[in-house]
Amino acid sequence: MIIGGGSTGLMISYYLLKKGVKSVIAERKYPGSGNTYKCATGIRASFTSREHIALMKRAIELWSELKDELGVFYERSGYLWLLSREEDLRAFKTYVSFQNEHGVPTKVIDLSEVKRLAPTIVTKDLLAAVHDPLAGKASPFDLVLQSWRFLVEKGCKVLMGVEAKKILMSGGKVLGVETSAGFIESRAVVLAAAYDTVKMLKSLNISVPIEPVPKHAFITEAYRDLFKPLIIDWSTSSYVVQTHHGNFLVGSEIPEKPGDKPLSRLEFLRKASKVWTKYFPWMKEAYLLRYWTGYYDTTPDHHPIIGPLDGLEGLYVAAGFSGHGFMMSPSVGEVMADWITEGRPKILEALNLSMSRFREGRLVKEAAVFG
Amino acid sequence: MDPEKVVVCRCEDVLLSDILKAIEGGYRDLESIKRLLRVGMGSCQGRHCLPIVARVLAKATGLRIDELNYPPSRPPLMPIQIKCFLSDGNEE
Ligand SMILES: Cc1cc2nc3c(=O)[nH]c(=O)nc-3n(C[C@H](O)[C@H](O)[C@H](O)COP(=O)(O)OP(=O)(O)OC[C@H]3O[C@@H](n4cnc5c(N)ncnc54)[C@H](O)[C@@H]3O)c2cc1C
Ligand code: FES
Repeated sequence: MIIGGGSTGLMISYYLLKKGVKSVIAERKYPGSGNTYKCATGIRASFTSREHIALMKRAIELWSELKDELGVFYERSGYLWLLSREEDLRAFKTYVSFQNEHGVPTKVIDLSEVKRLAPTIVTKDLLAAVHDPLAGKASPFDLVLQSWRFLVEKGCKVLMGVEAKKILMSGGKVLGVETSAGFIESRAVVLAAAYDTVKMLKSLNISVPIEPVPKHAFITEAYRDLFKPLIIDWSTSSYVVQTHHGNFLVGSEIPEKPGDKPLSRLEFLRKASKVWTKYFPWMKEAYLLRYWTGYYDTTPDHHPIIGPLDGLEGLYVAAGFSGHGFMMSPSVGEVMADWITEGRPKILEALNLSMSRFREGRLVKEAAVFG
Repeated sequence: MDPEKVVVCRCEDVLLSDILKAIEGGYRDLESIKRLLRVGMGSCQGRHCLPIVARVLAKATGLRIDELNYPPSRPPLMPIQIKCFLSDGNEE
């Protein structure tokens, strides 16, 4: 049984099914209703830890398969980091060489190349950029709606509007889950409930280091194709991506305290508008359609917690994705299916991501937290 | 009336027949149908079409309106030009 029907829960169910295991998902609201439907659709392997790179490279292979198997929109349209400060350019040169050593084809490009990738951009404040041609974007709507339909067709259950209340254990083993629709018996239970994972485990006296950090995004009306890559302005921690439907989806960091309620803030709209109209003056005329808030379920080392819980047979966690859970959902699904059916993941780097790392002080080291 | 000839969502060009097909395909809540067909995601934000889709869905499934996951309204109430958020309305 899986608690949570976001990209993580659905992909765990999907890759369990590939191993012949039929699962039940309990989703409190409707599939995708958590952060999955709020995400910015970006997918990349250009990280600065071995663990993230290994998981994301596998995920990128799987995204291509999901495109064929489920008809999910997915495109390797690249990422572009805009750099306007000398120190950022120096730092990115070291990230690029780390990534290249690990098989991720990022490269520093000059402004004429930036213009080629985003023809309408104003480059006067820029020094250079970093391009990742292996990165891309996918539709969270397709991923959720198509995998959900597929799972149900193949005999799995996706229970909508069913809330998990309490995990029942006996003698260190999982018995099942008490839900709003009654008791569901299961020898293996996966918590894929983002920040709510913390609340579920609290009742078992287990504390999980995940904090919800509010994030903001808006989307404009749809326009014709103007650029393919997801673009990040590094000095202001802002991004813009044109969805395949044509809308521009924009995000930008404003000061937020973990645990604060995500509220609509004019400060966000002002900052995001200022940053992106400077690079794309035509955007002043674009119409903003929707503004929403969500959160990143963030861990101290910005890496997810995926794997079993020591001493609690049959209980697994897949949460704490720190803003990158959509892109890695396929490989996380595969890793969790390995853990559950074989007791060990095939991607060895994933062994470093279980909960025990916090107790043992083995946090994942990363040169930079990237977006 | 022929469902192929009834436009339910004029912003995103969705027909009554599309809605009926989605319901037949097993989607039984407005939030999911919205993301499957983009109905309600156009410039009027579903003000014109979502009440109609809700009625069609309630009729087809026997569910009550409060069981359909009616999407919440998100700001702004009307599309606003990005330049309105720049301090002088026309910042370079
Ligand atoms: C603005 C924004 C932009 C982002 N951009 C990106 C991006 O570009 N790329 C990327 O990879 N990631 C991005 N992310 C992060 C990404 O959205 C998340 O990491 C990802 O969606 C996590 O999926 P999930 O399934 O783990 O969690 P969620 O989608 O949050 O799903 C958890 C589900 O559990 C359910 N649930 C909770 N408690 C219970 C319970 N007790 N019983 C039953 N169900 C329960 C919830 O209803 C929810 O549906 C972004 C996030 C935000 C907010
Ligand atoms: S009529 Fe459907 S969004 Fe406007």
